[in-house]
Amino acid sequence: LSAILVTLIFSLTLPILIHTYLYKRAVAKELPTFLLIGPSGAGKTSLLTLLANGTPSPTHTSQAPQTATCQLPSTTRSSEDKYRSENDTSSRTQPSVLLLDTPGHGKLRHHAIASLTSPTSLKGLLFVVDSAVLSSAAGLTETAEYLYDVLLLLQKRHMQGKTSKGPLAIPVLLVANKQDVFTSLPAGLVKSKLEEELGKVRQTRSKGLLDSGIGMDDGGEADEESNWLGEYGAKGFKFAQMREHGVEVEVVGTSTSAEGEDEGRGRKCWGWIGANV
Amino acid sequence: MLDGFEILTTSGIVLWRRHYTPISSNLIDSLVRDVFIEEKQKPGGGENGAPSYKKDRYTLRWTSAKDVGLVFVAVYQSLLHLSWIESLLTAVKGLFTKAYGQELKTPHTLKVNTAQWDPTFDALVNRLDTGSTRRQSDTIDSEGPTELTPPSSSAGDDADEPPPVPAPLFRKPAIPTKRDDVVGDSTSTDATPIPTPDTSRPATPGHAASHLLTAKGGPGKASRRSRKAQTFNASAPVSSGDESSAGRNLKGGAKTAAKGKRRWDVDGMAIEGDDDGVLDYSASATPGPENAERELDVADVNTSQMGSRTGKGQFVLKDLDDEVDAILASSSKPQQQSNATDDSTGSGLLASASSRLTSLFRNVVGGKTLTKADLQLPLQQMQTHLLSKNVAPEAATRLCQAVETDLLDQKTANYTSIESTIRDSMTKALTRMLTPTSSLDLLREVTSVTSGQGALARPYVISIVGVNGVGKSTNLSKIAFFLLQNHFRVLVVAGDTFRSGAVEQLRVHVRNLSALSQREGVGKVELFEKGYGKDAATVARDAVAFATNKGTQAPGGSGQMLYDVVLIDTAGRRHNDSRLMSSLTKFGQLANPDKVFMVGEALVGTDSVAQARNFAKEFVDTKGKLRNNGVGMDGFIISKCDTVGDMVGTLVSMVHATGIPVVFLGVGQHYGDLRGLNVGWAVDKLMK
Repeated sequence: LSAILVTLIFSLTLPILIHTYLYKRAVAKELPTFLLIGPSGAGKTSLLTLLANGTPSPTHTSQAPQTATCQLPSTTRSSEDKYRSENDTSSRTQPSVLLLDTPGHGKLRHHAIASLTSPTSLKGLLFVVDSAVLSSAAGLTETAEYLYDVLLLLQKRHMQGKTSKGPLAIPVLLVANKQDVFTSLPAGLVKSKLEEELGKVRQTRSKGLLDSGIGMDDGGEADEESNWLGEYGAKGFKFAQMREHGVEVEVVGTSTSAEGEDEGRGRKCWGWIGANV
Repeated sequence: MLDGFEILTTSGIVLWRRHYTPISSNLIDSLVRDVFIEEKQKPGGGENGAPSYKKDRYTLRWTSAKDVGLVFVAVYQSLLHLSWIESLLTAVKGLFTKAYGQELKTPHTLKVNTAQWDPTFDALVNRLDTGSTRRQSDTIDSEGPTELTPPSSSAGDDADEPPPVPAPLFRKPAIPTKRDDVVGDSTSTDATPIPTPDTSRPATPGHAASHLLTAKGGPGKASRRSRKAQTFNASAPVSSGDESSAGRNLKGGAKTAAKGKRRWDVDGMAIEGDDDGVLDYSASATPGPENAERELDVADVNTSQMGSRTGKGQFVLKDLDDEVDAILASSSKPQQQSNATDDSTGSGLLASASSRLTSLFRNVVGGKTLTKADLQLPLQQMQTHLLSKNVAPEAATRLCQAVETDLLDQKTANYTSIESTIRDSMTKALTRMLTPTSSLDLLREVTSVTSGQGALARPYVISIVGVNGVGKSTNLSKIAFFLLQNHFRVLVVAGDTFRSGAVEQLRVHVRNLSALSQREGVGKVELFEKGYGKDAATVARDAVAFATNKGTQAPGGSGQMLYDVVLIDTAGRRHNDSRLMSSLTKFGQLANPDKVFMVGEALVGTDSVAQARNFAKEFVDTKGKLRNNGVGMDGFIISKCDTVGDMVGTLVSMVHATGIPVVFLGVGQHYGDLRGLNVGWAVDKLMK
C-alpha cells in the first residue's frame, strides 16, 4: 500500500516540478530590441551610453557589438499608453528595451547584417549618421552605400515573408548626430541629401557588375526588380517609397555631446523608441 | 614620461582614462582601426608582451584581456624609451581584471565605478616608474579639465613639467616644496605671478638666464627635485644627458669666474657668495626651520597618502606590492605553467581510457574549454585543408594562428565539436580578411570625377600592372566593355612598348569593342599608341593629356574632355627584376592614375605573395609615401578563376600579403566575363 502511495505522490508531483522548472527557464521574456547601426565615427556607441546611462561616456572605434538594457525614461510616452485613458493615475512601469550597438567599420559590418537577418524581436532600427561628414562627397557616399545595403536588406526581408505570418515591418529612425558641430547639416537637409545619393547608388548598383556568386554557379537570371530599392523604375529615390515595403523612415537631429539639459539630449530618440515599442 | 593611459572595452567604451597631457582621441581610434580591425601590423612584431604602434610622434603600447573584452593602452612620446611600460601594462591588466572582472562579465554592463582605481593606478606608476622621469602626483588630474602645455616646452620634449596651474587645481595643497618646478615655466611664459602659498620667489636674472640656457628644463628640475647634486647626471634620462651636462657647464661658466661654492636652496635658487655654507649634505644637516618644515611636509605626504585610503588604505598599498610582484613574476614565466598542466594527466590504463572517453564525450556535447593541445591537431588539419586550396603557407599559418589566439581558453558551445568551432572561427577570420574596408563602386567614382565642376572635370585614369602572361590586356578590355555598356568614352592606351604584338593585340580588342558598341549605340572607344621602344611613362602622360584636352585646339571654346576614362596597359614584368620594377615608380608618378589594379592569376601558387608585395611597394609618390593610404595599389583583379574550380586560395594569399582588397574576378575569355567579388561565395569555396 505504501508503495502505491509513494508512486502516486511521485507521479503527481514530478510533472508539476518539471513544468515549473522548464517554464521558468523557457519563458524568459525577450525584450524588444533596437539596433544601432551606421558608418564608423557616427556616434553609435556614444548614443548607446547616452541612452543607457543618461550621460555619454567617451568612446573610441568599436570592435565588437555591445548590448544594453534600459528603461524608457518616465517622461516618454510609450505605445502602450494609448490604451490608457487620460485620467488614469495609476503608476505605470515603463517598458524596458534592449539596445544593440554594432561596429560601423567596413570589415565588421557582418555583425549588423547578422542581427538584421536573424530572427530576434527587432522592433526598430536607429541609423546614426554624422551630419558634419555628410557635407563632403566621400562621407556622403560611404553613408549612402551603407544605408542602401541596409534598406535593401529590409526590403528583401519584407518581400520574402509573404506568408501569413510575415515578419513585422521594421521602422527606421535616421538619427542625424553631431548637430552641435559647426559644419553639420540640419536634419531636413540630411534627409534630402541622402535621398539624392541613394538614388545615384541605386542607379550604379543596378548597372554594376554581377557578383561572383551568381553568374558562375547557377547561371540564373538575377532578379532586377528585387535588387531595386523602393519603387521600380522611379526616377529619384524618396524615403516614402519604402513605405510600401513596410519600412517607415523618420529623420531626427540629435547631438550626444551638446551642453544643455541632460534630459533633453536623448529625448527625440526616446520618443521614437517609445512609440515603436 | 607617460602621456596617457586608457582602459577601453572592445565595444569602444572608455572605462577609465588618465591623461597627463591632452591626447587627441584620434590616436587610439587609429590604433584600433589599423591594428585590431584592419590588422595592418604583424602581430608578433612588438617586444615581448606589449606590442607597439607608432603614429604622429607618439608610441602606443597595449595589451588586451580577451576574457573580459578589455584593451589597455599606454601612450607616450616616441622619443622616449620607457622600459617599464610593459610591466605597467601587465600589472594594470592583472589588477583591473581582478578588481572589476566579475562586474564586466555580467552582460549589458556599460560602465564600472572606477573611483577606487585612481589611487591604485597612481601607486602602480610610482612603484614601477624608474628614474627621474617622474611626474608630480599632485599636478595630474584624471577625467578632469586637461592642462595646457606652455609654448616654452615643445611637444617633442621629454620630462615636461605640467604648466603653471593656479593653486586651486592642485590636489594636495599641503606640499609647498614641490612647487619649485613651476618657477622655470612661469618666468618665461607668464607675466602675471602665479599665486602660490609658498615664499615669494624673486626672478633673478641669474635664474632667468639659467632657464634660458637649458633648452630642456627637465634635468635641472630633476636635480632640484631629488635634491642631490651627485645623482644629477645618473638619474637624467639618456636622451637629455648631453643637454644637462652642457647646460650645467654653461650655467657654471656664466655665473662665476672663480669656482666659488654654490648652494642651491630648496626653491632652486642659487645662493651666491655663501662661502661659509656647508656643501656636504651627507651629514645630517642642522635642522633649521626650513628643514624642519621640509621634514614635516615629507611626513605629511606619507601619512596623507596612506590615510586617504580609508580603512583599506594601508592594505591596498601592501597588497598592491605583493599582487604586482606576483603578476609580474607570473607573466615572465608562462612556459612553466603550461608544463605544469601537462603533468596533470592521469597515469595508468584505466585513467587514460576514461579520460579519453570523457574528452570524446565532451567533444560531442560541447562545453569544453579549449587548450593548446586540443587545438593543435584540428588546426593542423585545417591548415592542410587551406594549403590544398592553393593558399600560400604564409597566409595559412597566419590564419591558423589568428584562430588559435581567438579560441584559446574559450568554451565550445553546446553540441558543437572542436572541429566545427574551428571551422566557424576560420570562416569568420577569412570573411574579415577578404571584406574590404570600403567596397569599390567604379561607376560612381568615374561619374563623380568626370562630372566635377567645370575646370575640375578630368578623365578617370586606370592602369593595369602585373607579371607576364596573367591576362592584363584581356581584363583591361573586359573593363573597357563594362564601361562602354555604361555609356562612357574610353581611351585605351598601349603602354606596353616592349613586347612584340602588344599594340596589335590591343588594336584587335579596340576594333571588336567599337564594333560592339556601335551595334548597341553606346560609348566610344579608341586606341592611343606610340609604337614600340618608347618609355611607357611618357606615353601614359601624353595619353592623359590628350584625353584631358585642356584648351588646346577648339577655338572660342574651352577644351572639352575627349574621353571619360583612360585605361593604360603596361608591360608584364617579373617581380624580382628590380630594373623593370623601378620603372613602375616613374610610371606611377607621371601618369598619376586614379586606380592601379594588379592582375594576378588564380593558378599561381606561393609566388603570389611575393608578386603582390613587390608590386605594391613600387607605387610611391614623390614624397616617398605609398599611395592609397600606404598600401600602394588600389585593388587586385584575379584572373582565370574559371580554370581553378574550388581552389581560389590566391585571393587569400594576395590580400594577406598586402591588405589590398580584391575588386574583380576574371571568369572567362569573353568580354562579359568579369565579376565582382562576393565574399560569402569565396569563403564557401575555400571551406568546402
